[in-house]
Amino acid sequence: MVQMLEVRNLRTQFKVDNGIVQAVDGVSYHIDHGEIVGIVGESGCGKSVTQLSLLQLISSPPGKIMGGEALFEGVDLLKFKSDSEQMRKIRGGNIGIIFQEPMTSLNPVLTIGQQIVESVMLHLKMDSAAARKHAVEQLKLVGITDAEQRIDNYPHQFSGGMRQRAMIAMAMACRPKLLIADEPTTALDVTTQAQILELLKDTVKHFDTSLLIVTHNLGVVARYAQRIYVMYAGRVVESGTSNDIFANPRHPYTIGLLKAVPRLDEPKGHKLVPINGLPPSLINRPPMCAFLLRCSYRTEKCYQEPWPELKVVDGQHCVSCYVDLPAKKLGSGGNVTILQLMNTAGMKDPSAELSDIVASTVSQKDQLTNSTYQSSEEILLEAKNLKMYFSGTKGFFKHEAAQIKAVDDVSFKVRKGETLGLVGESGCGKTTVARCILQLYSPTGGGIHFEGRNILGQPKRGLRNMRRRVQLIFQDPYSSLDPRQTAGSIIGEPLKVHKMVASKQEYSHRVAELFEMVGLDPSMEDRVPHEFSGGQRQRIGIARALATNPSLIVCDEPISALDVSIQAQIINLLEELQEKLGLTYLFIAHDLSVVRHISDRVAVMYLGRIVEITDWKSLYENPLHPYTKALLSAVPIPDPFVEEKRERIILRGEVPSLLNRPTGCCFHPRCSEAIEDCSSIVPTLKNVGGGHEVACIKM
Amino acid sequence: MKMTTATVRHIEHMELPPRISEFRRFLRVFLSRKVVIFGSIIILALLLIAIFAPLIAPHNPTQQNLWETLQESSGKHLFGTDHLGRDVLSRIIYGSRISLAVGIVSVGIAGCFGMFLGLLAGYFGGIVDTVIMRCIDALLAIPPLVLALAIGAALGGGLGSVMISLGIALLPTYARLIRGQVLSVKQTDYIMAARVVGCSDLRIIMMHVFPNCLPPIIVLVTLNLGFAILAEAGLSFLGLGIAPPAAAWGAMVNDGYKYLLTNPILSFAPGLCIFLVVLAFNLVGDGLRDALDPRLRGTI
Ligand SMILES: Nc1ncnc2c1ncn2[C@@H]1O[C@H](COP(=O)(O)OP(=O)(O)O)[C@@H](O)[C@H]1O
Ligand code: SF4
Ligand code: SF4
Ligand SMILES: [Mg+2]
Repeated sequence: MVQMLEVRNLRTQFKVDNGIVQAVDGVSYHIDHGEIVGIVGESGCGKSVTQLSLLQLISSPPGKIMGGEALFEGVDLLKFKSDSEQMRKIRGGNIGIIFQEPMTSLNPVLTIGQQIVESVMLHLKMDSAAARKHAVEQLKLVGITDAEQRIDNYPHQFSGGMRQRAMIAMAMACRPKLLIADEPTTALDVTTQAQILELLKDTVKHFDTSLLIVTHNLGVVARYAQRIYVMYAGRVVESGTSNDIFANPRHPYTIGLLKAVPRLDEPKGHKLVPINGLPPSLINRPPMCAFLLRCSYRTEKCYQEPWPELKVVDGQHCVSCYVDLPAKKLGSGGNVTILQLMNTAGMKDPSAELSDIVASTVSQKDQLTNSTYQSSEEILLEAKNLKMYFSGTKGFFKHEAAQIKAVDDVSFKVRKGETLGLVGESGCGKTTVARCILQLYSPTGGGIHFEGRNILGQPKRGLRNMRRRVQLIFQDPYSSLDPRQTAGSIIGEPLKVHKMVASKQEYSHRVAELFEMVGLDPSMEDRVPHEFSGGQRQRIGIARALATNPSLIVCDEPISALDVSIQAQIINLLEELQEKLGLTYLFIAHDLSVVRHISDRVAVMYLGRIVEITDWKSLYENPLHPYTKALLSAVPIPDPFVEEKRERIILRGEVPSLLNRPTGCCFHPRCSEAIEDCSSIVPTLKNVGGGHEVACIKM
Repeated sequence: MKMTTATVRHIEHMELPPRISEFRRFLRVFLSRKVVIFGSIIILALLLIAIFAPLIAPHNPTQQNLWETLQESSGKHLFGTDHLGRDVLSRIIYGSRISLAVGIVSVGIAGCFGMFLGLLAGYFGGIVDTVIMRCIDALLAIPPLVLALAIGAALGGGLGSVMISLGIALLPTYARLIRGQVLSVKQTDYIMAARVVGCSDLRIIMMHVFPNCLPPIIVLVTLNLGFAILAEAGLSFLGLGIAPPAAAWGAMVNDGYKYLLTNPILSFAPGLCIFLVVLAFNLVGDGLRDALDPRLRGTI
């Protein structure tokens, strides 16, 4: 039978100054009619280049397709010239493409409509009136309201989620037989991600299109893909049905990935198992298995033999590894108990039976931390009615002054030694809260009490003192280190600034100690940030924050810019340091699984306000605010069994702009439980028992 | 489970190139391109010529000889003689003293003060920015040569006044350029990180802002050197520069201009020297920028 797309032994390389990047090294895969297939791998493993190669979109030079076949309905696409008639008919016609960053793949100077019409006229040979009508229908189909008006908007007038919808509309407009979605939701928030993925699935089902989802997020493919290919360093290292990959992973890398990501349904206190080391550089790679240096199953043979071929282990399940790891049940594999636990969204009233299961799966460490945290009542940091308003402009001529209430009446306490997680979608004010606490902004109102004293508006000396006690870890490890300073002087700077060392020897000693503390080799102190990997840079950032012996560290999305396999290393490091140094964390993130893993208590923010705050257990097992419930149900879980059984609350609409904050409960336009009063009464945080506070008038 | 820090380090360490000392790395990158070496040699040679001019010059540069005016190049006068019978080669050799001094000192003045003002304006913003940038804008509105003339006239003639007036005339571009750089560097996370760490403003400016604003300045400096050397001629022509018999390249280009058709070498020879200076500084500037660029570390 002829497959829809069959790629055989594709090889693509890039010539760079210091060698050859073998970006795609003999990749083979296929997609059948109407199938949804996932390609998973960390950034830089060649997922995108594979797709770009078969569409002949590789810029050459430096890129070059060295060999292989890409059979689309039996015809080899690589035989055609890149700019030939046939290729142009394929791209956008028979094969639709959606890229990660919708802003850069839409032309900013053309309206959404013009862009859809253009490709429809080209591929479907319609006249412009018919094409426009067709375009409006497409936009309606992907859930854009007022499609007749919005069609004349420019891309920048669309929000991120809407742009991705428009991209889907555009890609589907020509009725492609295959849709390739390269990281379609990576730039989006979790609730929007859930919307877009559902939309993708429904759309391809509706038109009987095959779908290839390329992503680094195992959770995303678990729910949708029938078959999965796991890529590493330019090769497919494991492939099989979704069930094979998640319930019975056989390649050490796949196993590692699954163990390295925190899951919403894992027992708390479970330590993540990071994949050590770094993804290999693809430049002049040695011939051995590329996972060798990071692999804990490696044997003598792995050092001597070339990279193993992909071999069938059973049925469709193929693995490229010399060590035949016994099939073991890693995922839940239909495990009913965890399945029940998992149905977070519907978990309002856990039955006695369920709580028994909870108790039995919760590890000892968890109970320990739970009890210590309850006994420590000393409050380290308290935000009282914190407000931060920025001035913005509104209206067509931008002259109407408007206030952006980025943080509006936020109060919370952080106890000594605990981790308070702060979650919410982008733009909800998390970073603003962090910057207010660090006094990088001067808040419009309210107070911040640190160790019992209000630290707002204090003189310079007090501020310097506070700088020693409260530190920040940044999200972006690339931009938060001065590119022209060496790692040593970045980490040592706080010591100098606060005159914390008496002599040169003490300085070098302390810097070396800080290097060791975060798992870096002190001999690397002469290197500049550019010479470090993302994870190593984040370690430098952490060491800098530790230099002054702070008691509170605000972590602002410290792992979200890192590769999946590196995230676990950093989370573990943060946990270790907390234990060793008795640190208190305010941990800001948008990834609810990570927050669940690391936090003792969690606060959920929406549009500048806290809507729910409580200990992690109540929040994740008994979420009360409708927004929290929706957030939790939107988090994908890397386990197809769990995903199949899970009910999903798909939020309608998108996060409104802070300039037009809805009246009353600002969540009411999207809330599925809203009643009439919700649009007029502003709910405040109410204690519903056991320190569980919720801001909803129905409580 | 304890994190196996040792393994992590072991593996990560293997990924990095072997370590060399900071200075050796700088030199290695700097000298890795032949053109940079070429530029450095030219600059070094010109400096030596300027310093040892009296030893090198075959003739007295101001000695007139009305019997031998406008001669072609010959064994006695390699570049011929000018309209007053002075040896062109000797004048070029002596002229390097004034021309190089004017170029380097005036661009130095412009760079130092311009960058200082630009840093202040960009970093502190608000009223400081408004006041400084208003003045800078006013200066920018006047063509640099006219501005230099006005300042030169106010200061009176002489080499020093030429350098100062050219320096002030060139200063606004530096201030503007660096202010723009500061504004973008100021937005970065690493500046915020420096504030979180508790650095003073002075430290942030000197350690973090300034070094990251430098690269485009290097390009501007090389462009301005040629301008300053030529402009000196203009000022001298109007009687504000150095007194006539003394030699300077700009003035020689100007004087030779009248004989362009008959004795082109009179203009070409000094013009070529100016070109060489600009080229050499340009090449060295590029090399310097690369050697200071942290992104190129480890690759060369
Ligand atoms: N234009 C290019 N020049 C050199 N190398 C490139 C180029 N484009 C991609 N690469 C390299 O190809 C590899 C695979 O990249 P990519 O497919 O984008 O990864 P992924 O999609 O998995 O994130 C990376 O090592 C990347 O650096
Ligand atoms: S081949 Fe060897 S090194 Fe590679 S993944 Fe398998 S066991 Fe590990
Ligand atoms: S107050 Fe109303 S709109 Fe807001 S969360 Fe509660 S039910 Fe929903
Ligand atoms: Mg990619």
